[in-house]
Order: sequence, then C-alpha cells, then structure tokens
Amino acid sequence: MADVLVVDSLVRRFGDLTAVDGVSFRIAPGETYGLLGPNGAGKTTTISMVAGLMAADAGTVTVAGEAMTPRTTEPKRHVGLVPQELAIYPDLSGRENLALFGRLQGLRGSELKVRVEEVLELIGLADRAKDRSKEYSGGMKRRLNIGIGLLHQPTLLILDEPTVGVDPQSRHAILESVEALSGEGMAVLYTTHYMEEAERLCDRIGIIDSGRLQAEGTRDELIRLIGGVDTIRLGGTGDLAGAAEELRLIPGVERVDTERRAATLTVKDAPALVAQVVGTATSYGVTLFDVEISRPDLESVFLHLTGKGLRD
Amino acid sequence: MRQLLALTAADLLQRVRDKTVVIFALVVPMALMTVFNLVFSATDGLDLAPVTVAISAPAGDDMAQVLTSVVSDLDGTGELDVTVHEVDEAAGRKQVEDGDAAIALLVPTGFGQAAQQGEAVTVEAVRGDEAGIEADIVLSVVDGVLGQFASGAVTVRAALAEGVAPTELAALVEQATSGGPAYDLRQGRAADEQLDSGAALVAGQAGLFLLFTVSFGVTGLLVDRESGTLSRLRSMPIPAWLIIASKALVSFVLGVVATGVLLTLGSYLFDADFGSLPAVAVLVVCATAAGTSVMFLIVRVARSSEQAGIATSIVALVLGIGGGAFFPVSSTGPFTWVLDLNPVAALLRGLGTTSGGGGIADIGVPVAIMLGFGAVMLAVSRLVPDHGVLS
Repeated sequence: MADVLVVDSLVRRFGDLTAVDGVSFRIAPGETYGLLGPNGAGKTTTISMVAGLMAADAGTVTVAGEAMTPRTTEPKRHVGLVPQELAIYPDLSGRENLALFGRLQGLRGSELKVRVEEVLELIGLADRAKDRSKEYSGGMKRRLNIGIGLLHQPTLLILDEPTVGVDPQSRHAILESVEALSGEGMAVLYTTHYMEEAERLCDRIGIIDSGRLQAEGTRDELIRLIGGVDTIRLGGTGDLAGAAEELRLIPGVERVDTERRAATLTVKDAPALVAQVVGTATSYGVTLFDVEISRPDLESVFLHLTGKGLRD
Repeated sequence: MRQLLALTAADLLQRVRDKTVVIFALVVPMALMTVFNLVFSATDGLDLAPVTVAISAPAGDDMAQVLTSVVSDLDGTGELDVTVHEVDEAAGRKQVEDGDAAIALLVPTGFGQAAQQGEAVTVEAVRGDEAGIEADIVLSVVDGVLGQFASGAVTVRAALAEGVAPTELAALVEQATSGGPAYDLRQGRAADEQLDSGAALVAGQAGLFLLFTVSFGVTGLLVDRESGTLSRLRSMPIPAWLIIASKALVSFVLGVVATGVLLTLGSYLFDADFGSLPAVAVLVVCATAAGTSVMFLIVRVARSSEQAGIATSIVALVLGIGGGAFFPVSSTGPFTWVLDLNPVAALLRGLGTTSGGGGIADIGVPVAIMLGFGAVMLAVSRLVPDHGVLS
C-alpha cells in the first residue's frame, strides 16, 4: 500500500538560520511515526510544512499522493492537525467547536451530526458538550483539541506535542487515544521531546536535532546504532572479585568491572542472563543486596547521536 | 460559500457572547452620548444673573441719553435682567469698585456734539471684577450702538469734505445713525451638511465607535494566530482568502449593525432626525467599509493583538476627533482638504445632508470619500510588509 506521507529533502530557512535541513521520511497507512527531538530541533517547522501551513524553501511533501503546499486545499482533506496550542474557540461549546471545524472540513448534514456525537463520546466530553470550552479543565480542552483533528477521519493525523503542559491523568488518556487510532489504520505523525512517549506510541522514530534527521528506525534499530548493550549491576558482600572471574565465562557477558562492594557486567541481553548471573555470584558466596538492570533507551541514542540530552 | 458563512456565523456568535464588543459598540457610545447630552443641554439652558450698570451721561446730551435708553431697554429682553443707575462719573467708578455695579459706562461731556461733528470721542467702560457674561452682553450692545454713532461721524466727515452745508449735517447724521443698516444679516440654516447639536452628538459618537467596532473582526486574525486557531484554520481544505473574508465580513456586519442601532437609539433618545432611511443606510454601509479597510492596514502593521488594540484606539481617536466626533472641526491652511477625506467627517457630512432633506442622489461626495478612503487603505495595506497573518 502506498505511503500516506512522503517528505522528501525538506528545507526551511529563516534568514541565516536553517530550521529544517533536508529532512526526509515516509509514513505508511496505520503507522505511527514519531519525530523525537528537543525544543528548537525543527519538529514544529517540519510539521507546519507537512500540514501546508508554511511553504518549504526546498523539498516536497506528498500526502495521499497529492503535493501539499500552503495554497493547495485538496491534500488538506486527508490531514487532521492537532496543534501544540489549544486551537479551540473558548466562547463556543465543545459541540459547536466540533461542528464548526467539521463544516470547514466539508462535513455536513447528518454525517456531521453523527461524527460530532461520535467524537464527543470518544474524547469523553458528551456530558459537557453544551458547555463553553473556556469552562473546561486543561485536560478537557486538550481532548477537544485532539477531537477536532479526528472529526473528519483523516488519513494522516498530525499531533504536535499534544501532552505538553498536561496533567498525568490526561496525558495517559491522550496516549491511550493515540494508540487506539493507529490500531484503526490511521497514519499518525507524532512530535514529542518525551522519550517515553515516543517509545510507547511510535512504530518508527525519527531523531531530529538542529533541523536534521539524525537517524530513524524502530526503537530496537535505533538502539542497535549505539551497540545495543545492557548492563547488570550487582551490589553485595563477599568474594566479588572471584565471582567476576567466573561471570566473565558466561556466554553473552562481554565485560565485568568490580568495585569494593559491587560489580558491573556489560552484557548482550540482560533479561535473559540475569538469573544465571545471580546464580553464579551467589554460588561464590556473594551475598547480594541489590541487582539492577539497565537497558539503553532513546535518550542514550540521542546522547550518542548529538552529544546532548533530549531536555538540554 | 457555506464555509464562509459557517466561519462568519461562528465568529459573530463568539463576539455576541464575549460582551466586549457589545460594551464597546453600544454601551460606551450610548453612555457618552448621554453624558454629552446632559452637558450640552445644561449649556443651552444657561441662566443669566441680574446685572447692574452705572451710566454717567451728560445732562442735555440727546445722543448720550440714547445710549442710556438702549441699555435700559435691555431689561426684560430674553433672559436679561438689567438695572441702570444714572450717576455721575465718580459715583459710577465707586459703584463698580464696591461691587454695586458690574460695569460703569462713562460718557464724556460733549459726546453728542462731537459725534455730530465727526470728531473722535471715547466712552469709557469700567468693568468690575465680578462682571460675568451678562456684562459682556451689555458691552456688546453698547459697542454696537457706538458703531452706529461712528457711522454718523464718518458721514459728517465725508459731507464736510464734499462741501455740504453745515445746516444739513444734522439731518445726514440722523439718517446715518437711525436709518438702519443697508445690509441685513438674517440667521438661516444651510440646506445640507449641517447637523443640529443633538444629531451631531449621536452621529459623532456613532462614527467614532464604528472604528472600534470593526476592529473586532479583522484584528481577530491576530487573536486567532496567538491562540493557534489560525494554524488550525489554515490546515483546513479552505482557501486562505476565505479566512480573511470571513473576518472582514464579521467587521462589516458588526459595524453596520452597531452603527444602525446607535443612530436609531440616538434618534429616539436625543431627538435627532437623520432623514432618508435609504440614504442613511448607504452612508452607514460606506462608513463601515472604510472603517474595515483601516483594520487591514492595522493587522499588517501590528505584531500582536495588543498592538492592534493600541493602534486601533489611536486611529479611531485621530479620525474621530479630526472628523468632528466630539466637536465641529474647522481649519484653514493648505491642508484643510485632508480633514475632508476623513471617513468620520464624511459620515457626519452625509448625515447632515440627509437630515436637511437630502436623499441618495445628494450624498455622492461623502460616499465617494468613504469608498475612496477604503480603496486607498486596502491598497496601502498591500504595500506594507506582512507579519504572517494575511499571507
């Protein structure tokens, strides 16, 4: 099946600053693609060009086979945008907001009414549908913001940092909604600077920094970029040095570093080896009081690729 | 078209729910009209205080007696209550110093004879510290009478220069001073371009606040940009011009409705008559179009909704005051015509024409000014660098 979104060599400059520098990626139907990067990395600028809000200085965006530019309207029918800001009208009710944007998307009549009610149910605002949205809590506004993007059942849903400034409960609800959407076959482009969100939601992740896509792939593919090694740290008393000699002989253990009351093992697959490691150590009379497994994450990948943390 | 109407209707619904527009477009101007009406009504009903005038007139001088009689006859004229004390010069000065008289008129000996022979003569008016507008009225009347006497003196000098016999001079002076003016100035009312005070008050405030009212539409683009809704609108399958057109339509509808309501309410409450309804409607539509066009310039220049609000206030006050929203503005000089190109001035001028009985055919000039102003504003706004709202 053809890709829903094809971004090819996208460039955008603001004066001397190149905010987006040759970014390319694709999203297949039903796939959730994450753009992971710190603030100022170029995520929102990229999304603005993908959604047709901003013209590119170079490169192309193709949505459902149609070229997207600020002046085109047809490709925009396939896109649902959820901006980072709460892009809702505070003096309109939840239902009125949905109905307005539904009309602008071309829905009308009974189709519009049905979709509005469905989305109100989906985002949990059916019982507050008549209230003006300025009376909603922050989480409810966020949900309405997302609901508007979903209303016309877009082929491509773009979510620009939808959980920024959201309480943990609402954040959890938003993440669950996004997971459900990808299950329904909708392609999702999700930007975030939260590593855990990208890991949880995204089938593939593009790591972006300084306007450039540094790497992309599945979580495991990205982690393999940095060697893909885990660590097992044993804390205890007894003959740790003697145990270390034996631990080095276990297949999959690449390195053992010992301290006075601890040993750190560099291994290929920590979960698979931890039981054998603990057994070997205790058989040498080591009394363990702490076992800690560390696996590399996207933060480690980002650090490896850019030399800085995601929240720097 | 459906999308344009949907967007416009939603925006109008929000403006109605957000009381700000109602306050700015209707409540504040109505309150100002009421306040100004009370102030100006008080001025119209000015109460004049009784005034005492001390006159020192030489005995046997007929012309001096004429002067005294004229001042005495002011008593009971209109609202004036005039008491004349006939005294000698010293007593006249003392009465003014003591506050017993507001003014003393000291007519010198030989006044009448000097006047008849065309010689220079001075009547001294001593004005007391407490003298008010009533004393000024008396002085104005006396000044007028002396002016007539002066015309007699001129006649005498002219007659002597031409060799008229001295025996005929008295008759000539009599004719010059009592024959009445050769030219008569009668107070009238212009057939157009003139509003009475009540109508001018209503029209002025309506014109001024029209500029505030229309700002709620177009400059809403800046609010939408700040809230993120503009991005969302631009991500919709609608052309960009439709978003701008909807905001202009909101401005236009708000402006027409608010100005129509203000003129209607003002007519009832302040007894203003603006004449032909179709002609007034044309003027309101054109003024709203002109006002809306200014907002396109402001939305180009301003970087935020706050800046737009400040710019709107400045433009509205400049155009409002320059257009005569608070008081009639008259000016002289080479740039007088600039004031005439103000849409508020044009609206007032047009309403003056309609209130004087003019119809649509008579308001061509103000209509042309307002539409021309709008066209120029739109053209200029296209030349000003955009900060991203209209592009």
